[in-house]
Amino acid sequence: MLGKLMKYEWKATWKLLLSANLVIVVMTFAAWIMTNLVEYSATDFQMIDFVEIMVILTYVISMFAVYVGTSIFLIYRFYTSTYGDQGYLLHTLPVDTHHIILAKVSVSALWLLINSVMITGSVLFLFTAREDAFFTMMEGMADVIELMSGEEITLFTIIMTLVAYVFSLFAKVLKVGACISLGQLSSNHKLMLSFAWYVGIYLVECVCSGVYFAIRLAFQEYSNSYMSFASYYDTQWETTLLAGILSCVIYYILTWYVMGRKLNLD
Amino acid sequence: MTPVVQCMGLTKTYGRKIALNQVYLNLERGRIIGLLGPNGSGKTTLIKIMNGLLKPTSGDILINGQRPGVDTKLRVSYLPERTYLQPGMKVMELVQYFQDFYPDFRLDRAYDMLTRLQIPPQERLKNLSKGTKEKVQLIMVMSRDADLYILDEPIAGVDPAARDYILSTIVNNYNHSGSILLSTHLISDVESILDEVVFIKYGNIVLQAGAEQIRQNEHKSVDQFFREVFAC
Repeated sequence: MLGKLMKYEWKATWKLLLSANLVIVVMTFAAWIMTNLVEYSATDFQMIDFVEIMVILTYVISMFAVYVGTSIFLIYRFYTSTYGDQGYLLHTLPVDTHHIILAKVSVSALWLLINSVMITGSVLFLFTAREDAFFTMMEGMADVIELMSGEEITLFTIIMTLVAYVFSLFAKVLKVGACISLGQLSSNHKLMLSFAWYVGIYLVECVCSGVYFAIRLAFQEYSNSYMSFASYYDTQWETTLLAGILSCVIYYILTWYVMGRKLNLD
Repeated sequence: MTPVVQCMGLTKTYGRKIALNQVYLNLERGRIIGLLGPNGSGKTTLIKIMNGLLKPTSGDILINGQRPGVDTKLRVSYLPERTYLQPGMKVMELVQYFQDFYPDFRLDRAYDMLTRLQIPPQERLKNLSKGTKEKVQLIMVMSRDADLYILDEPIAGVDPAARDYILSTIVNNYNHSGSILLSTHLISDVESILDEVVFIKYGNIVLQAGAEQIRQNEHKSVDQFFREVFAC
């Protein structure tokens, strides 16, 4: 049943979100062409610079709009299909609550991942229009790493950073799902309560990470050890991965508890 | 044989408001049962608990001898009082959806009813009128061979001309070894098909009796008797 739920979740989202990602592709090409035109333009015509700025500005705004729009759509979709009118069908299907949560979360996280890959790829592609800028950026990054560490960041670290990022995406989606679910525990003002839960959980997360880094800094000073950029980065992915997994577990349990044990569709 | 529904001291409260108060109720198999009561009497709350959409505050409920869960959802076909369809879906996609999730769904029965009601399968649900959407939902629900059909206000939103068709659709298509629990306050429209009635008032079951029994004992129709019991 999980596969079927995922199939229908994908079907319900792909048209709109694919269109949003096509906007990224179109805007990337528009910005790339414009940047190339300016690069190889023989004239000093100022108008083209103005147009380039406008295109780049539109590009940046559209990237932001697509990312935020995708997130808002996924939140709206989760709410309406789970606790709105469509929830009456979803929760009377002969499927396990775990399958419902897994289907919704995995499809949403996949869309956020696709979004991230598209936007990152778009920015990198845009830099290729200005070879000098691209190489300057890469050299700059290499210099910073060399300056700070003298050590190389390994392929393993890069892979684990990506894995940690994927977990953090799942954690983000599950956090929203848990907050929407917790909001349903109230008879009135469910959406407002969901928002309040989100703010509350965000504050708790901030306090926890603040305490964690304070303890870590204290230990570092105590041992008086020099932490290189690479070794800092190594511990950074471990922290992100651990926090991601922990968040996933906590938010999953909260969502499952409300959806499975305290469902209140009124 | 185990009753299809058993409620034992079922209570549901919303804050201080009591929606269901110590409900004891057994519904037998093979019957069409009317759950009758005015607005706010607790009909929908009871139905939602049967479908696992609400959790009771106290007491217990068994469907086919089991608490509401995956197994009972396999055997219960539920029509809510609201539209639960995804607007972007086509009618044929909805049919496929039901077939994918419910092993007892009868594809031929669904297409037969759609044809008779002249609902094009390629049409998107968002393009259908409210009444037609309700008919599509009813077709989906009645195309299953369930043990229990729970229909919450199935004729409330349709014109009087369509009501007869809907009622005949219900009577002609349900699995006759199962039961139908039909909630409504439009009693005169459904009276002719009911075997049994349950009157619910302020969350309490005030009467459970055969429709024919009421007509014989009270010398009046169920509708007239209902108006008497629930007179303001």
